[in-house]
Amino acid sequence: MSVAATQFTPLLGNDVLARVERMRLNPLRRRTNRMRGEHLSGKGGTSIEFRDYRNYVSGDDIRYVDWNIFARLNEPYLKLFAHEEESQVVILLDASTSMGFEGKFELARQIGACLGVMGLMSVEKVSIYSCGAKQVGPVRLLPCSGRASLKKFFRFLEQLEPGGDFPIEEAIESVLQHHRGRGIAVVLSDYLTLGSVSRSFNLLHGAGLELYALQILSPSEIDPEMTGDLRFVDSENDATLDVSSVGELLGIYHEHRLGLERYLEVEARKRNGRFVTLSSGMSIKDVMFDTLLRRGWIR
Amino acid sequence: MPSFFSPLHAALFALLVPLIIVYFLKLRRTRVSISSLALWQQVVNDQRVNSPFQKFKRNLLLLLQIAVLCLLVLAAMQPFIAGTEANASKLPILIDCSASMGARDRDGRTRLDLVKAEVLKLIDGLLPGQQLTLIEVGASARRMTDFTDNKVLLRSALNELQVADVPSRLEDGLRLAQALTRSHDQIERVRLYSDGNLPTKTNPATGQPMAAIDFDLSFPVDFFPLDSAGSNIGITAFNARRSTTDRWDVFVRVEGSSSSSTEARIHLTSNGQPLGEERVILEAGESQRLVFGVDTRQAHHLEVKLEPADHDALTCDNIAWLNLPQGRNLSVYCPVTMAAFRHALSAIEGIQLEPDSEGKSSRTSYDLLISDDLADDVREASTSCFVGPLPGDLQSALQMKDEPAEVVDWKRDATLLQHVQLKEVLINNVALKQEGVTDNDIERAGYDILAFGNQGPLILRKSDGLKLTYHLLFDTDRSTLPYRVGFPILVSNLVNEAMQQASLAELRSPSTGILPPLQLSKETTYRITDPTGHHEERSTNEDGVLLGISAPHVGEYEVSKGSELVDQLGLSLLNSTETSLSQVDKIHFNELSVDASETRPTTDRLLWKELAIAALCMLLLEWWYFQKRPAAVPA
Repeated sequence: MSVAATQFTPLLGNDVLARVERMRLNPLRRRTNRMRGEHLSGKGGTSIEFRDYRNYVSGDDIRYVDWNIFARLNEPYLKLFAHEEESQVVILLDASTSMGFEGKFELARQIGACLGVMGLMSVEKVSIYSCGAKQVGPVRLLPCSGRASLKKFFRFLEQLEPGGDFPIEEAIESVLQHHRGRGIAVVLSDYLTLGSVSRSFNLLHGAGLELYALQILSPSEIDPEMTGDLRFVDSENDATLDVSSVGELLGIYHEHRLGLERYLEVEARKRNGRFVTLSSGMSIKDVMFDTLLRRGWIR
Repeated sequence: MPSFFSPLHAALFALLVPLIIVYFLKLRRTRVSISSLALWQQVVNDQRVNSPFQKFKRNLLLLLQIAVLCLLVLAAMQPFIAGTEANASKLPILIDCSASMGARDRDGRTRLDLVKAEVLKLIDGLLPGQQLTLIEVGASARRMTDFTDNKVLLRSALNELQVADVPSRLEDGLRLAQALTRSHDQIERVRLYSDGNLPTKTNPATGQPMAAIDFDLSFPVDFFPLDSAGSNIGITAFNARRSTTDRWDVFVRVEGSSSSSTEARIHLTSNGQPLGEERVILEAGESQRLVFGVDTRQAHHLEVKLEPADHDALTCDNIAWLNLPQGRNLSVYCPVTMAAFRHALSAIEGIQLEPDSEGKSSRTSYDLLISDDLADDVREASTSCFVGPLPGDLQSALQMKDEPAEVVDWKRDATLLQHVQLKEVLINNVALKQEGVTDNDIERAGYDILAFGNQGPLILRKSDGLKLTYHLLFDTDRSTLPYRVGFPILVSNLVNEAMQQASLAELRSPSTGILPPLQLSKETTYRITDPTGHHEERSTNEDGVLLGISAPHVGEYEVSKGSELVDQLGLSLLNSTETSLSQVDKIHFNELSVDASETRPTTDRLLWKELAIAALCMLLLEWWYFQKRPAAVPA
């Protein structure tokens, strides 16, 4: 990718970066950590920002009783203050060999970059896990936050290359072994795995991470044009599969592909997560400023 | 159920084994690297993919190849559906090409066209080992091909068949077929295609006409008649008789077909000028004779033309020609010494007799020569009668002796002896046969014995080209013949025959077949052009007669020498049988009859072509299937 001299990162154009910096993630639920942050906690807190009143109950700290109201109403009311906690953004990038087809990994990195920038700009702790080779394990960028981390964040993303045979469900479990903290888990993968993601999605949910599941497929995976007797070779493990009269089976293929999408969507929704399928032929602008924005993933 | 000519080729089915092996061994799948097998594995595991139909589709190419191979092997086995026809290995086919086979129905198809279509089917269905020979039967029989199974040759010969405007001579074709049956053992039957328009005679039992062929049939004949072409009207006779010295009576006979009534208008022209016109309406099978009067003072080139009012199946019988010479007296040479003959001749009109009473003659050629001296043969005459001397070529076989003789028998139907009673005529000198000489020897010398004496022939007749000669082998002056009533009748018959020979009494329009002999310059080459434009060079013989020229077409034939037109004469069909288009369903031969076959036998139908075409289609289907684009992808 040729990079203009004035461009901050080869992953995103300046215009995209500038617009993304002004946008924020829009999770369905607030999943925050005890650590103070910019996300308002649902629980009462001790910040200076007033949030609400509630009746006093026995055992409450009388320091928070609003004495002025007590004086006027002769009833004790407790003042509640907003509690701002931090939220974590975990970006899980499927870097297996299958993602190296037709720009899938490229788009995944760009989406990860955009969502990561939004997290950084919100002073969230953004971490990246790139899962390529199974035996190596995930390559990660430790949680960082703030605009100051932008350069490190992009440098990490830029040096990532696809390769390996890490199944996505195992990659999620492996990441959860390293990660601590609640927030959003952005899982960028093609989800073309022979295993089941049900358990891994459960683990994500249980870890307090709201799932942003993005399936990225190449145009030839969405709409293959093949015919005759073919021998398919798996890019990750060189396994082969002989298929006769491929042209005749395309209808069934499409049924299974759509079935996989429905399955992933249902599995994500069950866990209060989100799911979308994208084509690697789409531009990052279409993905961010149209698809995700209209779906309310970001704001 | 189909049978196979070559069942041993079924061994080729063994090729299925290597085909299947090679298919699976050589099935080279294109390697396609994809991101993951996950989806395709699910597709392959799908129950629908493994359903029998899908399995069939997966191996459709193999099945198509097996089908192609099976079809080719079946084609190699040469299957056929047996027909009802006996599979004779050699089959002579006689095809009637007479004039009636040119009769066109209302669709414009001739009978010969129908025959050609049937025979073509036979040729197309020719089985291995079968051979045909085509024999054209017209005025004579001609083999178009030898026994062959070469379909191209047979088709070509079939296309060459043409209708000849001549009556059919089926005997010739049957004789030819008989000769073939003697030389080829494999001939079981002979097939005859004809419209059944054959010469007939009345059946003595039923009174109905029947086709009678004077032939001893020694082999089975399958007679396949054709449907009638419809109504026809035509000219069946056109002749002239000199009724008086200055008038010809011209007779035209018109006959209709035996199936329906007909109507036509007759036009008679002379040298292009109309002479008469008549309208004729005929019931089925009826005929009518028309008479026209023509002046004898000039020569006429008569043409009678028939103009049918409705559909006319046969056109070649609608026209006829007749050349009438200018009328003149018959020139007769009879020496003064033959007083009895001169006396009888003097009583007949229209005769110019020489020499005169003083013995002077002005001509060198005559129409009739009567003499008792063979030396007078130098005088040219179309008809001669020598009284007394032996013919030169019979000098060794006969010897004149003065012995009494009497007439034992004579041919009463001979033209010369019609109404002549020779019984009890006394003769005093006679020609005796030399020892060992028989009547057959005399006949072999070209003489026809008209009267037989008790010791040898008395009257001989010899026809040599256009020349007719009578020999009375006795001296009439030494017999009682001149004193009999029959003598002037005999002389009158002689004069009539001479007038016939000189074309002065009765003329008939010549019919097709052979061109009538023409008296022209001696040993000269002439060019004869027929109505179709074909021409041939032929030379006259030493007597100046042009003989033996085939004339199968109706029309005017031109005889020319260089650029000079020497003679022109028109030949017509003039055959009542052909014009009537009557058909028979039974042919009577000398000892047995042959019925017409009502149904056509079906030939064995070969199926290898259909199988080969099916294999080709299968191959194209395989190619299409292999090359076709994938099915449309749902949105």
